[in-house]
Amino acid sequence: MQLSINGEKKLIEKDHLTITELLTIQEVKMPEMVTVEHNGDILDRASFDTTSVGDGDEIEFLYFMGGGQ
Amino acid sequence: MKFETKAIHGACEPDPVTGATTYPIYQTASFEYETAQEHSDVFHGRKFGHQYSRVTNPTVTSFESRINLLSNGLGTICTSSGMSAISTALMALTGAGDHIITGKTLFGGTHYLFRHVLENFGVEFSIVASTDVSAYENAIRPNTKAIFLETIGNPKLDVPNLKAISDIAKKHNIPLVVDCTTVTPYLLDAKTIGIDIIVLSTTKYLCGSGTTVGGSITDLGNYDWKNAKSDKIKELTKKLGEMAFLGRARRQIQSNIGSIMAPMNAFIAALGLDTLSLRMEKHCQNALELAQFFAHHPKVKSVAYPGLPTHPDHAIAKAQFGNRFGGLITIRVGSKKNAYHVIDETKLARTLVNIGDTKTLVAHPQSTIYRDFTLDEAGELGAHEDAIRISVGLEHIDDLKADFDQALQGI
Repeated sequence: MQLSINGEKKLIEKDHLTITELLTIQEVKMPEMVTVEHNGDILDRASFDTTSVGDGDEIEFLYFMGGGQ
Repeated sequence: MKFETKAIHGACEPDPVTGATTYPIYQTASFEYETAQEHSDVFHGRKFGHQYSRVTNPTVTSFESRINLLSNGLGTICTSSGMSAISTALMALTGAGDHIITGKTLFGGTHYLFRHVLENFGVEFSIVASTDVSAYENAIRPNTKAIFLETIGNPKLDVPNLKAISDIAKKHNIPLVVDCTTVTPYLLDAKTIGIDIIVLSTTKYLCGSGTTVGGSITDLGNYDWKNAKSDKIKELTKKLGEMAFLGRARRQIQSNIGSIMAPMNAFIAALGLDTLSLRMEKHCQNALELAQFFAHHPKVKSVAYPGLPTHPDHAIAKAQFGNRFGGLITIRVGSKKNAYHVIDETKLARTLVNIGDTKTLVAHPQSTIYRDFTLDEAGELGAHEDAIRISVGLEHIDDLKADFDQALQGI
């Protein structure tokens, strides 16, 4: 599938992924500190394991820059 | 993982470059990027990275992560001092025309912050008796944006019922900010109690050695910022979601005021976390035994220590802090002259204004920290003319008893 991540088109070799899996695949640093926007919606951290992303979805990562777990 | 294990192993992986088991000091003002795009992405927060040490620094981030883990927090920001943690948190939550409710028994510097800084910028505040739960609710106004208090009032050493006050704050959708310096996350599970934000002076028990000034702010993830009363934070939830308060505190307040923790300070203070649990146990054990000694000493008029069954807040303290009561004692010895005599004659206890050191410390709060208060005002805060505040250290208890006994015998 193709995703837009922070405005950049990226090909992912899977049809569906959870946000948690996407953070791992993309090797996002300090994932506990990142805010994730999925198709315009800011996600609660509790939903990272259950929110699925699919072809054409737009993802934005944003850091507040502090220490997380 | 239990607290003691997390304090040693949690959020502190060896340095990936060198394998150093203690996170290194990154003593640099700024950080270089290979491309302008990457640099811009870091500035926009789209990519993790450090840009300038007035905003973030890896050594400080490492310390923040460790405090956050021990607090079960959502995120943590370290600051230049405990006072900068309080001021940054309150400035993030309020603006001109807003109102804060604060418990009365606060560290003197916090009183001065309200009087000389926040009020000057148009923030109103109401002071209520720290342990009077209903007084907090009665003081709430439509523009109340925060409730602030300390876990153990210093030097009065009264202990508010944090759960009851948290319930009131929640009922009215007001963030509850608590200064947990005197108990640390080791004695208080602030998240479970329902506190929204904790601030710490890391100078004290966290660092432990009395060497390094610093502070921290932790969002415990209990408050729903999407429904915040603060318009600025509410607006930020559209970008940062749950991280909106932290984003406001770090990116809009702290980085622009510049009240940052230096990397060297983060490194030194972080060393204290390894032994925090051991030291807190010993501080509490020594303080309880010394308080019992004072309670039976003929030259001591009264002893304030929450661990004594005679203390009015003993039951609340026992439940809140897991049957441990911190390392602070305040005694009264009949006159200012007597207080000065005891302070001057102790050989082991050092005369200085700090707490949470390995060394036992004594101070005369009325003529130092509370010098700008009237005697009546200072007395209401526990800083009576004849009061001595003692931060009990880690020396052998027999030596401490002997030291205070010889000093007290002279009055």
